[in-house]
Amino acid sequence: MRRKKVSQYTEEFEAPKSQRRLSVSSVLVHIALILLALIVISPLIIPFFFTFKTPLEFAYNPWGLPEKLRWSNFEQAWKMVRIGEGLRNSLQVCIGAVLFTVPPAAMAGYIFAFYRSKVTNVLFYVVMAGFFVPVHMVLIPLYQFSTKIGITNTFPGVFLPIAAFGIPFWTIIYRSFYSGLPKDMVEAGRIDGAGHFTVFMRIIFPMAKPATVLAVLLSFMGGWSDFIIGLIMLSSQSKFTMQLRISQFIGNLGANYFPQYAAGVIISSLPTIILYLIFHKYIIQGTTLAGAIKG
Amino acid sequence: MAVAQTAKRKKKRDWYRLGFIALFLLPALAILGTFMFYPIKETFRLSFMRSSGFGEEIYVGWRNYQRIFASPEFRQGFVNVFKWAFWSVAIQIPLAFFIAFTCVNFRTRIIGRLRGVYYLSNVLPSAITAMLGVFIFSPTSGVIKTFAKTTGWKWLESIDWLGNPKLAFWSLFALATWAYMGFGIIYLMANIEQIPTEIREAALIDGATQWQYAWRVVIPYVSYAIRVQAILATVGSIKLFDLPYMVTLGGPRNATVTLGITLYREAFLNWQYGRGAAIGVVIFLICLVITIFQFSFVNDHSATDQSI
Amino acid sequence: MSRSKLSVLLVMTLASLLILSSVALAKTTLTIWAVDGLELDDPHHYYVQNLVKTFLADNPDIDIDWVAFGSEGAALNNRIRVALAANVGPDIFQSWGGTFMGEFARMGKLLDLTEELSDVPTSEAAKAAMSYDGRLYGIAPFFAIAGLYVNEGIFEELGLEVPTTIAELEAVAEKLVANGIQPFAVGARDEWPILATYMYLVNRYGGTIFDDAVARKVRFDAEPFVQAGLKIQEWSKRGFFGNTPMSEGYGDAQLLMQTGQAAMQISGSWLCGLYADPNQTDQTIGFYAVPVLEGGVGKVTDLAGMTDVGFVATATAADKKDAVVRFLTYAMSVEAAEKEAGRVASIPGVNPPNRLTGMASDVFTQAETIQFWWDQNLPPALTTPVNLTIQSFLMDDTDVKAELARYELLVEDELGSVR
Repeated sequence: MRRKKVSQYTEEFEAPKSQRRLSVSSVLVHIALILLALIVISPLIIPFFFTFKTPLEFAYNPWGLPEKLRWSNFEQAWKMVRIGEGLRNSLQVCIGAVLFTVPPAAMAGYIFAFYRSKVTNVLFYVVMAGFFVPVHMVLIPLYQFSTKIGITNTFPGVFLPIAAFGIPFWTIIYRSFYSGLPKDMVEAGRIDGAGHFTVFMRIIFPMAKPATVLAVLLSFMGGWSDFIIGLIMLSSQSKFTMQLRISQFIGNLGANYFPQYAAGVIISSLPTIILYLIFHKYIIQGTTLAGAIKG
Repeated sequence: MAVAQTAKRKKKRDWYRLGFIALFLLPALAILGTFMFYPIKETFRLSFMRSSGFGEEIYVGWRNYQRIFASPEFRQGFVNVFKWAFWSVAIQIPLAFFIAFTCVNFRTRIIGRLRGVYYLSNVLPSAITAMLGVFIFSPTSGVIKTFAKTTGWKWLESIDWLGNPKLAFWSLFALATWAYMGFGIIYLMANIEQIPTEIREAALIDGATQWQYAWRVVIPYVSYAIRVQAILATVGSIKLFDLPYMVTLGGPRNATVTLGITLYREAFLNWQYGRGAAIGVVIFLICLVITIFQFSFVNDHSATDQSI
Repeated sequence: MSRSKLSVLLVMTLASLLILSSVALAKTTLTIWAVDGLELDDPHHYYVQNLVKTFLADNPDIDIDWVAFGSEGAALNNRIRVALAANVGPDIFQSWGGTFMGEFARMGKLLDLTEELSDVPTSEAAKAAMSYDGRLYGIAPFFAIAGLYVNEGIFEELGLEVPTTIAELEAVAEKLVANGIQPFAVGARDEWPILATYMYLVNRYGGTIFDDAVARKVRFDAEPFVQAGLKIQEWSKRGFFGNTPMSEGYGDAQLLMQTGQAAMQISGSWLCGLYADPNQTDQTIGFYAVPVLEGGVGKVTDLAGMTDVGFVATATAADKKDAVVRFLTYAMSVEAAEKEAGRVASIPGVNPPNRLTGMASDVFTQAETIQFWWDQNLPPALTTPVNLTIQSFLMDDTDVKAELARYELLVEDELGSVR
């Protein structure tokens, strides 16, 4: 018999319950959730008000509808930011960030969750301590050190520090996630003679899929949004990531060229938003840890 | 004889196990060691120096620490981050839980579509979020001001969201809640979904309402996740820099200054790298103490029976 | 010829051809880090864009790798700081002179160009701004001065005269408030914009007292400093800075001026390009000297100024000194400077590109003393604190004297007590 997840049962259970008691609260809940969703989305629409106007139009009437849809701001942003090059660079940083954040965190989290001992507990605190570090604290020594080992102005020089800041966080998340998984599966595996590595690869790690999807997606986006590490480590224009280019573009306009500003904002955040909209289903779905236990 | 043989067998397995542990911890520790702990060690060292970061270093002992603790700006930053941490836990976590719980347990078509939306704000880089904050709160052309002008509501028009020292903190807090809550929602959602159906069935059969179910069953079940969220929110608050700096620069008159801002000011603007390093050390230690404190309260329900 | 001799000859010919060609192709590459970029079609950037284009055309043996960081969040300054700390960096970078440049020079990170650049024609003030301890480290093709921007359209409409004394200024401001127009646009949320107003008030009350205070002859909470602070607080209370001075950003201030919602602004001449551009504003704005205080010490010919655009070279470029000097010299030429759309040039013989810049240039030429912008003229550790202190004067409940006394303590820490 397949265990269904809670959510799949909910609808079945809604109907027979007393309609009166649930429907008022469910209507209220719906309203609250819709309102919250609107609150989340509305600031994201703001740049679209600005970006189609001329500077004067914007100055006099920031929130009105533009006279004409002017795409020149986008054109300018697109041209100056040199999207093709910037995308390539940012992708390299993002992929590097994911590769060097998620596997180490997944593995370390596994040890910290299942192999507890005095030593590993201390090491867990050590790894967790990495989360306590504010970025600016390490920038100057990090740069000097990177110069010595020659990775400044390279992509590893960017994504390795980004990974270093991501690993503590995801190790904590993975550890907490692993801790919540049912143990009977592991026992079953060990009885079948599985070694440490097989238990991890075949049993535990697949069950932690939501955490992994989350980790991959968010590490990717973290790499995309990073500005400060890219700024410090890169010095060739040709290697600049999207965020650096957008900042150059925005910074080159001065403080009140809002229409072009807005175009830059849209270009810089649209890819991550689109990415998220495509992949969020996988995060929210959760696992089907069902079949494995009984079947 | 049998005892000795068992001892030998155990020993062999131990090595294999140890090797496995070491192998799995190696990548994380290597990356962290090189790119985080080594620079931190340098920073710790520099916190006892007067240095502009350019190499000239004069040993000054504890003076940096004395100076920062005597500075009213630092003290205000200290107060502000704790205020921020407290309210983050008090407001953002219950809110995130509410959204996560209802999204999991009220599976209607509308809500099904809405679930993905709540994370969107977290996707933006902080610079963009800061800019959006300015677009909303700006006293000359911000959304709220323009809205107030069109509706003619003078009381709304006269509110100085970013310039009133008492209000600026809350404007920023609202902005930060908007930006950072998404992760908590998704994380809690993933955890709540793990609850086995039998438990939910049992609760409903016993006649529990949604509220009772949430309060008595779900919360205890995901309490570890909630505690993790609390730690993440607290540490994030102590480190906070981006939003307050980019929107109000820590003003007005230090109403929104944070420890992170004082660090940046000392290290990068005042060229007092030693003092900046000292502030960094303080931030680090505060987070460490808080986390140890919070963790020692937690008996995560999977504590003892894990070891393989 | 024997075959072996032939092959040797062939190899030698090939080798010499290779060597000759590589010598001919040998280019020096100058890496330049600046604020403005080369791709945007914007009047604000015409100077650097033409500078690079023409220089490359005239100097085929030099290549330029130009990296623009934009003006957001002091990206260039932070980057330079980190890079020079590790003795890595560009050959040339954009700098505003003053004490920040001086710190780099003191630590030997900059190239001493006193011999090469001393003869380049420029204003005394510009040269002084790019010098440290008697040595010259760079050039400043454009030098900004602070003055009073006046919306001439509004003034004409309301029958107001451009004020020449503080008393007249206050009368004008009262009338503007009565007509629903914000007298001064400032942008105090960004900390530094109010400094211009304060610098002038201190000068009008006490003359060159700032230099005396830095030289530790006078305290920073001496009378003129306090009076100027109280005056700002008074103006704020009277609504001269609008209703929300602390949340008004510098960008907001510019918007207010561009749309005629504010009538005056005390700021630098770098805004001339913006306020004269018909794409940006439909108001008529003029540039005037800041009014004097009747009975005060400061004169109308005392101005505040700073480098608008400047370049320095790093010590790591020592082997490219020739190329560096050629670039910097060209950057100071009349030909290059005439492409600029708004800034005031510190090069003799350059015609102002528009009426507004012309007015600013006129004010500049009449200057007798130039006070360098305080936040470029103090040790780095005292710069942000002074801006924060002055910014707090805009709030009603600030104790001006106490704040200045606190700043004095910080100064004593850095520079010693008053002798």
